Amino acid sequence: MAEIDAGTVSVSPFFVLSRLGYGPKEGDVIAFERLGLADWLDQQLKPPQGDDAETAAALSRARLRINYPAGDASKNQGWVATDEMRPLATLDEPIDTLWPLIAERDKYAPQERRRPLLDMISATIIRAVHSRYQLREILCRFWHDHFNVDAWSAEPVAVALPTYDRDVIRPNCFGNFRHMLEAVATSTAMLYYLSNRSSRAGAANENYGRELFELHTLGRDAYLNDKYDRWREVPGALKGHPVGYIDEDVYESARAFTGWTVADGTPIDGGRKLPATGRFAYVESWHDGYQKRVLATDFNEFQPAMADGRRVLDLVAAHPATARFICRKLVQRLVADDPPPRLVAAAVSVWSQNLHAPDQIAKVVRAIVLSSEFAQSDGAKIRRPLALVAAFARATALDITPTEPLINNLAAAGERLYGYPDPTGLPDERDHFIGTGAMRVRWQLAFALTQNQWGTGLWIPDAVMPASVETLGDAAAFWVATLTGQPSPGPVAAILGGIGAAPDDRLGPRFTPDAEKRLGLVAAYAAMSPAFQSC
Amino acid sequence: MPLSRRTLLKSAAAGAIVASAPGLTVRSFAAPTRERPLLVVVHLRGGADGLNLVSPATDPDFIATRTSELRVAADGSEAGYALANGPDGTIDFRLHPAAGGLAELYKSGALAIIHAAGLTDGTRSHFVATDMIERGVADGASLSRLRDGWLTRYLRADPASTGPIAAVSAAGAVSGELAEWPDALAVADLSGGLAPAGGPQAREVLTRLYATGKDPVSEAGRSALSAMATIDAAVPRDPKGAVIPYHPDAAAPYDSAAEFGRPLRTLAQLIKMELGVDIATVDIGGWDMHEYQPGRFKTGVTHLSNGIAAFWNDTARYHDRMVLVTISEFGRRLRSNRSLGTDHGRAGVMMVLGGRVKGGRFFGRWPGLANAQLDEGVDLAVATDYRQILTEILRHRGAAPADRIFPGYVDKGPLGIFGA
Repeated sequence: MAEIDAGTVSVSPFFVLSRLGYGPKEGDVIAFERLGLADWLDQQLKPPQGDDAETAAALSRARLRINYPAGDASKNQGWVATDEMRPLATLDEPIDTLWPLIAERDKYAPQERRRPLLDMISATIIRAVHSRYQLREILCRFWHDHFNVDAWSAEPVAVALPTYDRDVIRPNCFGNFRHMLEAVATSTAMLYYLSNRSSRAGAANENYGRELFELHTLGRDAYLNDKYDRWREVPGALKGHPVGYIDEDVYESARAFTGWTVADGTPIDGGRKLPATGRFAYVESWHDGYQKRVLATDFNEFQPAMADGRRVLDLVAAHPATARFICRKLVQRLVADDPPPRLVAAAVSVWSQNLHAPDQIAKVVRAIVLSSEFAQSDGAKIRRPLALVAAFARATALDITPTEPLINNLAAAGERLYGYPDPTGLPDERDHFIGTGAMRVRWQLAFALTQNQWGTGLWIPDAVMPASVETLGDAAAFWVATLTGQPSPGPVAAILGGIGAAPDDRLGPRFTPDAEKRLGLVAAYAAMSPAFQSC
Repeated sequence: MPLSRRTLLKSAAAGAIVASAPGLTVRSFAAPTRERPLLVVVHLRGGADGLNLVSPATDPDFIATRTSELRVAADGSEAGYALANGPDGTIDFRLHPAAGGLAELYKSGALAIIHAAGLTDGTRSHFVATDMIERGVADGASLSRLRDGWLTRYLRADPASTGPIAAVSAAGAVSGELAEWPDALAVADLSGGLAPAGGPQAREVLTRLYATGKDPVSEAGRSALSAMATIDAAVPRDPKGAVIPYHPDAAAPYDSAAEFGRPLRTLAQLIKMELGVDIATVDIGGWDMHEYQPGRFKTGVTHLSNGIAAFWNDTARYHDRMVLVTISEFGRRLRSNRSLGTDHGRAGVMMVLGGRVKGGRFFGRWPGLANAQLDEGVDLAVATDYRQILTEILRHRGAAPADRIFPGYVDKGPLGIFGA
């Protein structure tokens, strides 16, 4: 890899802020130029814990409607009718506080069980729009995709989502992979989603075990499916370093994770039951304690609590195939759909040299970003629907209010936040987002935001446009340049031609509803242009 | 980069539509004139448990190894539908009791069942198996080499089948079977029409914004605008321009199929618009049941069966042309786990539905469930290569030789699904 000299090679600030964040806000480009890429990146890679002040304020300002009729008393449903604009109140709650939503179902309306999910989606949109630490938001999305859970189809996952984001994904997004892996393995959300919590000695549930290998660590390229149980035939196995995994490794790891469960009130035996806290629990009597062999490594029988599972995590986190698989995905996210092999190899080398470093992931991200491949990848990635909305809001200073119609239209465009059904997570390839129906919704996003069709907030274009804008031509040029980073004449002419205006048509009286609607449309059309769809 | 064929076709199509738009709405009520077969691929995503959908209910090995909650019973209040003409005269094969619609189609002779069908490759990975089936291969080397789907190769080999609206995924994104087909459409819903938000002005601006770019997004945008115009022009509207809600024939109850109903309804609408849809894919997800399978499976089967029955009843005019095939990436483990679920297995069940299908019977060999008959001693073995079934369907359509569509596959000849 040719590491670029971050001091001299010119990388477009607009591009960096769009790829490693959700696009520039006013003033961001100048601030970036003052720092230069390397210093800007180092700041981004070491964010302080928690939200910055502006983001925290936006989060506490946010209100999302919740409304449902009273429960049916004859069915023992104890809730009263509710219709209110409520803060994102579940975000900071520990799982114990939220778990009664699951454990005492009859007391709470179903809408209350979905609420932590909607709070998280709202927070995700708000952080994307407001956070100073934009790269953290990008990496959090990456890891949420990598360690995907579907909170739309399972209520316990929805209720566990705030802690999954706050305590598992967010604090580890630039950290150490082995550490994150155990946080995920012991998370309520994953234990439900991949159903390990119901796995028991005797005939273990293989769901988590399989996806741990295939999707979380070694990756499908390391699955030697023709070997099945013939572990000695796996190259390197007899020296204790098998190059890949086989079905038998999946079966054996499933056994290793038996007993890793959630304290959900389930009886353990005649005299004991788990508390109903929603927290992680290890139940020794559900664990299969006998000897195992995972990745050509023998596990002795009857190890201490959780030792078998932790040993599996050690083996997979340190495996070279894991380095390749995850570095390839990181490069795919940060650089190009089809990752340049040289850059992947360079990232793998940084990953492997830092297996035990507390900032392993930050170091890998740094190496990827400071590469010539990254510098040359402007425009290579499609903007996913959340990125379209957030980049539009940032560029236009639209103080966006998340609403259910917005959330549903992001889903219609191909990104149902925290709701991708398959454990692969949302595909990171352009084709997933540019089907006929999806393109139509992508265009609609900008249109609906400028016209406040979904209650996302009234936007006054005149309030953010400079006084020098006097004609429709100026306005089109201003929004094309602001949204795409380039003062391209093509889109400007297309917009003016499409609305039947001449470049020097005067704007007329400002701050009137008609003027704002027309200017809003011009901005929306600029956001519909091909250049804004990618970054 | 030269102008792609898509660009040319799309521009031509868009021009034609502008001229004939009012006629299209009329045509959608006219009798179909085309006699080309209409192929619908229904993908059961997640690995559906073929042994729980179509159970060898009285097989002693089945009863011995699998918990009763995950078997269809041959008697009692929960007994499944008896299926005549099974693959093994000594075993009573039963369809899941929630599959009333499918049972009726089987009885009517329109539905054929192929049990123990699937991938000859031994993968137990969803994503490898799905990719292989979508690309029409059965080995890792071909999977790395080929990027296009088997339907794409079929379309390429069949120049008559290349209208701009020929191939549709009734979904948010184009399915893998149509990967790399430049004209493949993804349309999940038509309830609001397909015009761009913002009306004629927005369409005019978009047409100009996307007129010339050579990048993939510009190409996709042009393609979308052209397809949207063609399809939207055929969506019936009232005098005020509001979309007239779709009324399925025979009042087909798509809602009884929950989320599976929407893409099927959309597809039926598209077919009846007579825009030239020849090939379609539809997904029904949620089959990866590692725990609490009995209730979830019943729900899944209910939706599958109701959906296919509704779609069939809604498209009666097309039965002679139609072949619908169901496929899942794999079946599930014979032995259930202690979560009352099943883990990834090998062979599953495929179904073929059509007006010219010689149904009401099984095709293909039943390999048995004794330990020595199982794949690796754990899973129902694959007795019929999924490509043998697809080849027979494509041949019924008069397609090119199998090896052009399924590279590396040596055809074993037809099973007789469409008669001798």
